[in-house]
Amino acid sequence: MATQDSRSILFTHNRPQQGFRLLELTPELEELLTSKDAPTLELKSPSTALAQAVIDPSAQDYVNLCTPTKTYRMRQVQSSNSIHILRPSAGEISKADIKVVEEEAGDEGTLNLPDEAVTTIAKCSSTLELHIPPGGFSAIPFLEKTLRLYDRRNDDNGDIAMGDSAASLDPLDAADMQKIREAVCVDIPVSQAQFEQGWMELCAFVDAGEEVACWRPSARARLGVWRRLVEGAILQGIDIEKQFLVRDLWKSVLDEDEAAEPPFPRPLLEAVVRRICVGDERPALADEVIWASFDKVECVQWVGETYLAATAPVVSSAIGRSEFLRAWKDCLPESWRGEAVLSKLTNGCYKSPDPTTIHFVEPSQREQTAKAVPTGPAAAKAKNTRNWHELLKGRR
Amino acid sequence: MPSIKLHPSSGSSRAKAPNSQTLPNPLPSLLQTPTGLAILELQGTINVPTSNEDEMTDSPNPNAPNPASTFETPIGKLMFPDYSVHNPDDTKWMKRAYLYVGRYQRMTGEVKKLPRPIAVLQRHQGEGGGEELEVVEIVRYKIFFKSRPEPVNDV
Repeated sequence: MATQDSRSILFTHNRPQQGFRLLELTPELEELLTSKDAPTLELKSPSTALAQAVIDPSAQDYVNLCTPTKTYRMRQVQSSNSIHILRPSAGEISKADIKVVEEEAGDEGTLNLPDEAVTTIAKCSSTLELHIPPGGFSAIPFLEKTLRLYDRRNDDNGDIAMGDSAASLDPLDAADMQKIREAVCVDIPVSQAQFEQGWMELCAFVDAGEEVACWRPSARARLGVWRRLVEGAILQGIDIEKQFLVRDLWKSVLDEDEAAEPPFPRPLLEAVVRRICVGDERPALADEVIWASFDKVECVQWVGETYLAATAPVVSSAIGRSEFLRAWKDCLPESWRGEAVLSKLTNGCYKSPDPTTIHFVEPSQREQTAKAVPTGPAAAKAKNTRNWHELLKGRR
Repeated sequence: MPSIKLHPSSGSSRAKAPNSQTLPNPLPSLLQTPTGLAILELQGTINVPTSNEDEMTDSPNPNAPNPASTFETPIGKLMFPDYSVHNPDDTKWMKRAYLYVGRYQRMTGEVKKLPRPIAVLQRHQGEGGGEELEVVEIVRYKIFFKSRPEPVNDV
């Protein structure tokens, strides 16, 4: 037989078997894991409460694999085949057992036993596969459920008592805030970068007023900060398009007679500044914003959307278009007024129930309409998949 | 819910598996990995006698390095009939692999490049006592037997 000459390797089963999991890598992950300073990855799932609050229609219990910047959904795919993990072995087996593989001795009385061996040390019946759902991953739905709503306007007493700053605890330093944010991030099943993106997007902030807490300002509160900030900047002659010290902006926001009680916590101002400042100059979330300058385009858009979200959050509260445009312009510094046109707003962020009115559309609702469109290519993709779960899902 | 750390492969994992380091790897070089781990996939299962019964009837080889801790049961032989150590770059050999199970059954298979590399993960205790995972190896090829065994004469 032709095979007789070729080298054969003794194949054995090792006991005790070990436990392994197999994880199919994407090209990016492979690159990341084989790089010189490979980062530690994390397997994250939401806390039970969060999982109930933020329902993922595609999965009930899930685990996400997070790199520092990306998130993947993990899926366990059962295999009808057995997948063995082998390693080289000394092939030390008892003489009695050899009969399983070879005749006890050849004519010359020598054992015809392969001198090299591999042994199976584990058997896996499933592999873990990774995928990114069409909508991607965002920390925002989780942050919205986790963070407390800050909805105090500077011109009233506030719906939520933030406590007097006179009674406030010692101000937190950047490291304290980082620690508090990390504690929030643990329960949110996305990567650190996506968490920070969402945190910044919402202008979330950590404040130690009466108690240390993480807040997300309402649209109304954000708009209040913006108005106050523009007012203060004009009064103090701060050009917000050029670099300014955030410290100076904060001073301009404080009334002279009100110095003891600021209209809103300073971390909120910083969060807003961070959100609308020129992207390249935006410091990492862990670092303090010291210098900033505002990006006109980003700023105008943000103010328009914030205004709309604050005044016309739903269909029933839709406002007149021209009224909205006028109010939007009034929120902007004089030289920016010309920028306030509907085409500058994010696609899909508003709807017009009739030609003269307008209202805001929440990002979560927006995504659903956006998601409805790319199902075509996604469905086509599923047909090419090797995964029969996906194949069958399409046929149902 | 606490997150579980997944550590990239480190030198320490290799140190933990001294066996695979010192033993020569008999597999074709394409299938060799730094830790020596390789993947073999087959249709169906290999039935190995369950531990308790087996230990009573068969005594492990007293000369084995760790008779108490590990124990090997022979299953059969693995062959790459067209592979030549002298010409490892020629990949035609990958088309054919045999797995003899016992003396009279043979499966024919092949060596395949995995469409996506597979990370072999192992669990261990983290510093804080929590569970952590580590990438022990990244495997890019598998030995794959998709057909059913056929009867053969003893080789």
